[in-house]
Amino acid sequence: MTRKDTTRAFAWAGRFAVTALAALTFVAGGAPAAAAAPSGKPIKIGLSLTLTGPYSPPAVFELQGYELAAKEINASGGLLGRPVELVKYDDQGNPSTAVQLYQKLLTDDHVNLLLSPFETDLTSAVAPIVNRAKVVMMCLAANPGAFRGQYPYLIQAMTLTSRYMVPAIDLAAAKGYKTMALLVQNTQFPQDLAKGIRKEAARKGIKIVFDQDYAPNTTDFSALVLKAGATHPDVIFGATYLADAEGIMRAAKAQNVNAKMYVFSIGPVEPQFYTGLGPVAEGVFGTTLYFHTLKTNGNTEFVKGFQGMFHRLPDYHAAVAYASLKILANAVKKVGSLDEAKIRDAILNTSVGTVAGHFQVSKTGMQIGYSSYALQWQHGQQQLVWPKAFQTTAPMLPHPAWK
Amino acid sequence: MIATFVALLILGLLWGGVYLLMAEGLNLIYGVMKVVNLAHGDFIVLGGLVAFSLFGVFHITPLLSFPLAALLLFGIGALVQVGVLERITVTGPEGELRTLLATFGLSYVVANASFLLWGSQFQSIPYMQGALQFGAVAVPEGLLVSSLCAFAVALLVHLWLTATMTGRSVHATAQSSLGAAACGLNVRRIRMVTFAIGSAMAGGAGALVIALIPFQTSSGGDLTVQAFTLIALGGLGNYLGAWLAAELLGLTEVFTQYYFGSDAASAVVYAVFIGVLVFRPQGLLGRAGRV
Repeated sequence: MTRKDTTRAFAWAGRFAVTALAALTFVAGGAPAAAAAPSGKPIKIGLSLTLTGPYSPPAVFELQGYELAAKEINASGGLLGRPVELVKYDDQGNPSTAVQLYQKLLTDDHVNLLLSPFETDLTSAVAPIVNRAKVVMMCLAANPGAFRGQYPYLIQAMTLTSRYMVPAIDLAAAKGYKTMALLVQNTQFPQDLAKGIRKEAARKGIKIVFDQDYAPNTTDFSALVLKAGATHPDVIFGATYLADAEGIMRAAKAQNVNAKMYVFSIGPVEPQFYTGLGPVAEGVFGTTLYFHTLKTNGNTEFVKGFQGMFHRLPDYHAAVAYASLKILANAVKKVGSLDEAKIRDAILNTSVGTVAGHFQVSKTGMQIGYSSYALQWQHGQQQLVWPKAFQTTAPMLPHPAWK
Repeated sequence: MIATFVALLILGLLWGGVYLLMAEGLNLIYGVMKVVNLAHGDFIVLGGLVAFSLFGVFHITPLLSFPLAALLLFGIGALVQVGVLERITVTGPEGELRTLLATFGLSYVVANASFLLWGSQFQSIPYMQGALQFGAVAVPEGLLVSSLCAFAVALLVHLWLTATMTGRSVHATAQSSLGAAACGLNVRRIRMVTFAIGSAMAGGAGALVIALIPFQTSSGGDLTVQAFTLIALGGLGNYLGAWLAAELLGLTEVFTQYYFGSDAASAVVYAVFIGVLVFRPQGLLGRAGRV
């Protein structure tokens, strides 16, 4: 055996061990079948994702999560003895393209099961045709709209928008902070986030002293932040995306607007938040639905498998995608056939720990299990700081005044 | 109360400077060539992303990247003019439509090339994030420097156009391409220099502005619209007008944001724009009848 062969043999052994471990740890569907190689016609699982264009980076994470899950399912004997195959397209973030592609998936490709396009807008666009075809679709969309009973074949496999900011508000309350300034982008997702924030803040006794919307194309936050600062809030909360979260922090620093805690929904979770803001990002809190250090069911193996396959750490999109395909597969195993109504009922009755946390849905398919986590930038690293039970380190509070 | 008002006034004027910085190149190209460069915003983004990489890899600050990005875009601008725009007949109304389509296509090429190089995530540079404190009033450094650069660039271009031979030839070409050519000026070369300088101004602007506003490769379209609004408001191709328009927009935005809420800000900005166009269709300082 040459040295190269030995290395390869070790690599194979390692990969086999990982796969076997993954198969063993994922016990939700009962004992894994003795890994007989799947055969026969593949079970087709269709999806279109935003694989190119400005919104593609998180969608690519989702695809990789699905690919890892599919690989593991096939390695452990496939589904019903058949291999699973992902039939995937790129909708470029365009809702009408997505509708055409799901039409094609249903009528041309005759897929057996579906995974949703990226996020709420596209999922809402394809919801009616998917539901009419009575094909189960696992949805990575945080908005509750499509899961109130109108579309029984859609299952929400992502944390509900209203729960995103709960841990951060809980942390603020635990520190005794009493007042909040709330800055909200006036688009759908941040607006829904803000509703959740107002409700939870009221529940925790935090008074909202400033509450204002801004347009999504706002680049100059100076006056908004100045005005928010004039109310001297304990915490500044932003229902934001990345660019506006940066804009608000930049304005706060430049105009010497101080608060004890700064929290943003989307923004700090992205590494670009730190590369863009540098020291100004220090101590800022964000939200995530998953963290690679979590001790959730199968997470160590998931992180290892993901890094092995894609050479980077999984983010929350990858984790919820991975979990949702695993849950779908287990439901199919439980049912023992591709009867869509029975698969749906099996998922509605699923209550299981996944890499992304506890999965459970209501009778209408709305996610009621998954929660979220607060993270903080500390010394150039993201740390999971709240809830306390999951923290990688303690939160650093209060935020020091700007120098 | 007074302190707030002064703070808002300063912020408005400084943001006005930033907007001017982003519109100057478009204004020059339109003023001389009557070409609306729809790739202008993408040039700004490209300049910004070049500065982002220079900062990330070599720790070159935006102020130093400013001439580098400008130089790069000068080259790209010259290539575009010689390779594309010069080959399109620009006379008559169809000519304008053709150049519009060509630069529209160019904007896709530039944006997608940037996408392949940098991906699509928002990028920014942590640079000059502090402020100069005057009593209760803070003057953000980044805004101040960008504004000063905008004014410096405007002044230099003005001097170039009025006090140098090349600049005057550019003016002559702007007034009558045919007349200038008849006087023996090399109008092709002048158009190339103008487009290259206009593009360089966009690239330089991007290098500074990315430290204030995060850019993604698809940000270009919005920036083009914003810059075009500004030069239309000022009187297309008019330099003093563009400066006035920029300050008007900056102040309107900041004061509306503070007193009427951010939601209203963009609406009010465009209401002002429409108002000016209704009562002065040629723009603030534009001359009527000038095509």
